[in-house]
Amino acid sequence: MREDSWDAGDMGCGELIVLLRKRVRALIPGGVLHLTARDPGAVEDIPAWCRLTGHFLRNAEHPFYDIERKKED
Amino acid sequence: MAGKLCVSLTNAKNDTDKATVAFVIANAAVGSDQETLVFLSTEGVRLAVEGYADDIHETGFAPLKELMANFVEAGGTIFVCSPCFKKRGLDENTLVKGAKIVGGAKLVEFLASGAPCVSY
Repeated sequence: MREDSWDAGDMGCGELIVLLRKRVRALIPGGVLHLTARDPGAVEDIPAWCRLTGHFLRNAEHPFYDIERKKED
Repeated sequence: MAGKLCVSLTNAKNDTDKATVAFVIANAAVGSDQETLVFLSTEGVRLAVEGYADDIHETGFAPLKELMANFVEAGGTIFVCSPCFKKRGLDENTLVKGAKIVGGAKLVEFLASGAPCVSY
């Protein structure tokens, strides 16, 4: 998948992260997920998750996040 | 995977809040590409029995059964303390998917490789 959108609602913390991983891994390398995450923890968690996993946070304007899947695992 | 993390859990229905949050954190770890181990010991081993966690649903969290299933599906490992399991007379033929009964050496091996551990 080249592009996907996901409204995670109020989901946060590990519940959000484990499903976010699944969503991003369904993309082709370089593909983009448009995520909506309203949990207040997402402001810090999403950038931290991108640093940990190597995916690129293209844009972050809470609650909207554009995450680009890294080119190689 | 980038790193390792162990989540040690010693509670089940005696403290469903701790049991739930342990798996939420484990999901955060495995979802962040960490090699993640949940180590169930003492009362926590009850969670490894199929069906036991089905009615655990803390307010504000996903049902525990769902958290455990997502954890295993994402590649997480569940180790179950053998003497704790045996002491409670539980049936090793009814383990949840992804759970494995182990002795202390397996936990020590994982931690000795440099994995940090958070306990609930």
